[in-house]
Amino acid sequence: MRKSDGFWLFIGSGMLLLAAILIQAHFVARADLPLLRQKAAVVKNLGLTDLCLSTEARYTRHLSQSDWHAAFQSHPLALDHFPSGSVFAPPGTLKKSHD
Amino acid sequence: MIRSIEKQRNILDFTLSSLWRRWGKNLALVVVYTLVVFSLGSVMFFTQALKNEAAIILRGTPEIIVQKLVAGRHELIPVAYAQKISAIRGVEAVKDRLWGYYFDPVGQANYTLMVPEAIDLNDNEIVVGAGISRVRRVFRGNAMVLRTFDGRPVNLFVKGILSPESELLSSDLMLISATGFRRLFGVSQNDATDLTVKVLNKKEIPTIAAKIVDTLPDTRAITRDEILRTYDAVFDWRGGIMIAILAGAVLAFLIFAWDKAAGLSAEEKREIGILKAIGWETTDVLQMKFWEGMVVSLSSFFLGVILAYFHIFYASATLFEPVLKGWSTLYPDFRLTPFISGYQIAILFFFTVIPYTVATIIPAWRAATIDPDVVMRF
Amino acid sequence: MIELQNIRKVFNEGRPNEYIALHDLSLFIAAHQVTALTGPSGSGKTTLLSLLGCMARPTAGRIVLQGREITSLPERFLTDIRRKTFGFIFQQFNLLNGISVIENVMLPAYPLGEPFSTLKQKALGLLELFNLAHKAAAKVEWLSGGEAQRTAIARALVNHPEVIIADEPTAHLDTRLSREFMDIMRDFKAQGKTILIASHDPLVHESQVVDRVVRMRDGRIIDSGAI
Repeated sequence: MRKSDGFWLFIGSGMLLLAAILIQAHFVARADLPLLRQKAAVVKNLGLTDLCLSTEARYTRHLSQSDWHAAFQSHPLALDHFPSGSVFAPPGTLKKSHD
Repeated sequence: MIRSIEKQRNILDFTLSSLWRRWGKNLALVVVYTLVVFSLGSVMFFTQALKNEAAIILRGTPEIIVQKLVAGRHELIPVAYAQKISAIRGVEAVKDRLWGYYFDPVGQANYTLMVPEAIDLNDNEIVVGAGISRVRRVFRGNAMVLRTFDGRPVNLFVKGILSPESELLSSDLMLISATGFRRLFGVSQNDATDLTVKVLNKKEIPTIAAKIVDTLPDTRAITRDEILRTYDAVFDWRGGIMIAILAGAVLAFLIFAWDKAAGLSAEEKREIGILKAIGWETTDVLQMKFWEGMVVSLSSFFLGVILAYFHIFYASATLFEPVLKGWSTLYPDFRLTPFISGYQIAILFFFTVIPYTVATIIPAWRAATIDPDVVMRF
Repeated sequence: MIELQNIRKVFNEGRPNEYIALHDLSLFIAAHQVTALTGPSGSGKTTLLSLLGCMARPTAGRIVLQGREITSLPERFLTDIRRKTFGFIFQQFNLLNGISVIENVMLPAYPLGEPFSTLKQKALGLLELFNLAHKAAAKVEWLSGGEAQRTAIARALVNHPEVIIADEPTAHLDTRLSREFMDIMRDFKAQGKTILIASHDPLVHESQVVDRVVRMRDGRIIDSGAI
């Protein structure tokens, strides 16, 4: 086999795999709809407001509920005690009221 | 036509032989490059999936949340405020919510305590999220000891565990009865954490929120739209995570490009000279360099994207865990729904493959335009 | 075959290190002959050879190849003429290290877009001709001096050129290998090829194979050896 054919084979299988991933992701996302509805029901029933991604600080646990004056410590480049505090941007509500 | 395809295949053959000579160096290049694509792709898939997931599941959040502020901090709100809000035209219902945080010294973790409307619990019963169950190794029927605000221990029995499928929402949740909550934190009957407002006409939500703040100047109103927008902004490319990783990737690319643009080695220049002397045109040499860039960047692109996909959607974004987890001990174990699109992949392609290929061709341009007779003077 | 008319070649023109390599030089090279250019180093042999082989352009003057004026052709056409008409053998062989022998031989033909299988057959045929078929897959840096030289010759032949141009081909060869080289040149001549060799090695220009010796000094022809 020629080297270039080997390369095309590699790139071709990469493209096929990528296409397969896109198609598979599409079907998984569709199959997940009931699960998402179930999660939406949890949000509705419990009156939740936020995703539980980080539990270390209240302004990262409840991003949308953080205090106005937490804006400085929540700024992306703030030297925060918590790593997660430096990667979450301040919520839009705060940015709006400070602009 | 066939001739020009055959020509490209020939040139590609030579490019591959040529790359193979320095396989160690080129393999290292592919590995580093794959890592760049992988981290960019991971962040992109992760944030996009969270953004989409948040947009769908948070549609059920309360329409308006009213919180009292004292000196810029969220304070307990008097339940009596509910009547004043009910009096505003267009308000359907006002309910008080009780929720707060509890630091558990045993598990070294923060829990979110909440009083649910929909679940009936007696004063000593709790329902915990799957994360708490994991960290504290408590299961249905076990008891957990929590300390009240004045230091007394309370025994609480686990009535159930929240479904692991909803861990992205409920991992650190501890559902407790209203009486239990007030006893634990010493919150009086007259106070609540905040109030939720239900509105008759959804279009009036912003107007009513403004009226509430007008009527009760020491409060703020958070609308459902604002919550959804928050998640949209946090996981936008300008959001913190994206900036942090993008900056790293851009720096890595700068190093790449600088290394490439700093020029070709004397050996590479000599080889280009030989190719020109034996009858290659300038464009042939540039095509060879184009393939060289393509071989490295396409291989890395495919490897990086595919690895990123499995990392985010099948390995629970393990590598982001330390960042999100930080110093805390409780981390949700969740599986994200794979919301990915051809658009995202195209963006990744244009940010990775194109700049690298250009950075490979440009320095070769100067070397490729030398006169072929130079090689006779070595 | 090739005619040079009042050729002048100046390097670094207009700069303090300006250097005139060839002064007003005219020469006619006949087809199917072996022509040797000789002279001390710096006499302009290599420069003249690179002009004859369309590798460089003269500063002034005209070059006519097979009745066609080529000095003013754009690079693309010039390259096309060069790779179809000339085969080059360099003093240092200029093989690409780390690449197999057969690939080195095929290299000049790659941009022509010939089908790979015919190209490979052709290269193998050439390697067989030079007793190198068993080394086809070997890397060129593992070859002995003689094998490297024969590989370089095979590479020069892969596009079936009418003219072979060799620049100091025997400079790195011992007497036996130099004789072997001249024997190969004799075969080419018998096949009707035109051969141009620049060399100050007496073994070359005193050889029976050479029809004409052009002597040069300081960028001028001092004896055109016309027959």
